[in-house]
Amino acid sequence: MTTTPSATAPVLSCEGLKKSYGGQPAVVEVGFDIAPGETFGLLGPNGAGKTTTISMIAGLLRPDAGSITVAGERMSPTAAAAKGAVGLVPQDLAIYPDLSARENLTFFGRLYGLAKQPLRTRTDEVLEVIGLTDRAGDRAGEFSGGMKRRLNIGIGLLHRPRLLILDEPTVGVDPQSRNAILESVEQLSGEGLAVLYTTHYMEEAERLCRRIAIVDQGRLIAEGTRRELVATLGEQDLVRLEVSGDAVAAAEACAGVEGVRSADVEESTVVCLMHGAGSRLASLLGVVAEQGASVTGVEVREPDLEDVFLHLTGKALRH
Amino acid sequence: MVRAALIILGKDLRLRMRDRSVLLFAVVVPLGLTALFSAILPDDQPRSVTAAVVDADGGEVADGFVDGVLPAVAADGIVTLVEVDDEAEARREVAAGDIDVAWLIPAGFSDEVGAGRATEITVLVAAGRVLPGEIARGVAEAYATQVGHVGLAVVTAAEVTGSAPGPEDVAAAAEQAAATPQVVRIAQEATATGDRLDSTSYLAAGMAAFFVFFVTQFGVTGLLEERQQGTMPRLLAAPIRPGAIHLGKIGGAFVLGLTSMTVLAVASSALLGADWGPAPGVAVLVVALVLAALGVLALVASFARTAEQAGNLQSAIAIVLGLLGGVFFPVPGDAELLRIASLLSPHGWFLRGLAELRATGDWTVVWPAAGAIVAFGIVAAVPAVLRQRRASTW
Repeated sequence: MTTTPSATAPVLSCEGLKKSYGGQPAVVEVGFDIAPGETFGLLGPNGAGKTTTISMIAGLLRPDAGSITVAGERMSPTAAAAKGAVGLVPQDLAIYPDLSARENLTFFGRLYGLAKQPLRTRTDEVLEVIGLTDRAGDRAGEFSGGMKRRLNIGIGLLHRPRLLILDEPTVGVDPQSRNAILESVEQLSGEGLAVLYTTHYMEEAERLCRRIAIVDQGRLIAEGTRRELVATLGEQDLVRLEVSGDAVAAAEACAGVEGVRSADVEESTVVCLMHGAGSRLASLLGVVAEQGASVTGVEVREPDLEDVFLHLTGKALRH
Repeated sequence: MVRAALIILGKDLRLRMRDRSVLLFAVVVPLGLTALFSAILPDDQPRSVTAAVVDADGGEVADGFVDGVLPAVAADGIVTLVEVDDEAEARREVAAGDIDVAWLIPAGFSDEVGAGRATEITVLVAAGRVLPGEIARGVAEAYATQVGHVGLAVVTAAEVTGSAPGPEDVAAAAEQAAATPQVVRIAQEATATGDRLDSTSYLAAGMAAFFVFFVTQFGVTGLLEERQQGTMPRLLAAPIRPGAIHLGKIGGAFVLGLTSMTVLAVASSALLGADWGPAPGVAVLVVALVLAALGVLALVASFARTAEQAGNLQSAIAIVLGLLGGVFFPVPGDAELLRIASLLSPHGWFLRGLAELRATGDWTVVWPAAGAIVAFGIVAAVPAVLRQRRASTW
């Protein structure tokens, strides 16, 4: 699946990416573009193929098929020019706890070929951006989770990449640090940096990403703006029934009610996507009661990205 | 690639210097153990020396040693004499450790002594027989000194026979005697791993060889640590060749190993009075041993999934190889199986090479031992490289 070409030349362009492990497909025909200044969200449950896709884009893995171009350079594990245009911020903290923040930045800056004086200047700038100037000489291992996350991002930014890959950058951070990270991403995007962003947090995707792709079982199953994705569900309502009893049996019964397009189970909640919820709610409650379950809470609202995701993959995003 | 490898090497060394355990393994513990062991262990246990003599001369001077000196020494219980047919048998017996020492008296020995020309008695010493070697040498040296005087007496008697010597002739003969302090020279040959190293030197070298396998481990397991702490993807994403990462890690391990052994050689010499032998030969052996350690560690790292696993595996291998090689105690010369087993250990070859070096003073004698040590490392490294190629990058 490919996107409509951007008005400006894309910083990242992937097409027909495939990768298998031991005959088991991990990524199947994935393709998308990211324009300068665009933040592109990649959503998918665990094991959907996001990390494999990111690994190929960052030059860590060679695709079995397909092509990746970053800033006009073909990407491969030995393509120095293409790799130099990418800043990778892995999901797991990729810092040396026994080095200071400055030493971490300096080490990776040197690997990216920055000369001594420009590196020193750039390190000071990045420390300022990530709010660690006052702690520059402290061991990274002594930092809080949020500070480590910020340093992790700072290393990815140090060499002024054209494309920044952020893989779940806010996992395990406090709300204040998370907000600081999101603001930084917005600022960087505003400065023309292309960002590939994966997250489990739908509100982050909705806030940051102009376009979002949903990946499941290695395939890119939907892509578009938030409005476009929600529109794929049509003029429907989302009904959430908190159930005490057999939720699976209740969901199966709900699926048979007129107007219900899908009925899924999220723990003890039956989630129904349906037309005309106002007039059919009583029918839903009735079939649930027939299954011997009782409804302890009801919510009716318009669907959002989370619901799109659930509808397309049959799974909650945070599984 | 080299530049990137050096950057990674520099980072690793900086990290290791902050990790005090590397200093413990590299210097403090081996030096401390050497000092402790050398203080509580004597050089050798005194015992009767099993010895043989081969008299290829049959002359009177040789008879004096074979029939005069040796029976007397045997009667004192210092040596137990055994019979051998010829020099070849003596060499075989000594090489096998069946006897401790053998004296070889060359043909023409008596004539040479009679003519006042230099000649020699060769003392063969079996591997691991430090004290017996010294005793055998002492006996021969004592006789050589005695022969010097006897030779002088013969010369003097001949002159008396030719024409009656005056006082000035006697004085001249005395001067000649003084100028010929020892007609017979002693040549001592090491037959195998003759640990001619004193106990302090032996222990210092043994400890250094033992702990270098732990010190280099810090560099090689660094690859696994990069994976564990999540920094490997970031290194692989950098615009460098993936090989630079391995080169940097191996280079770091090499520098650590080399530094550790050099510091220990210098420190044990300066502080404990150890003597490893001529520096060029020591350097060759040290480099060979560090390379062998890297080969073994590469193999371990290719099997281990975590740095902890690698550390445990490496410790087990280091201990087994160290014990086989006799780093704590010299392999007894009469323990044939252990001596053969020590050939399977780079530590054993290292100590053997040092012993040869000390015995001969010629640094070029270490090449066979160094070759064996490097071969050991290559044998370990080849499967490691093959396994690494099959493995995924991260």
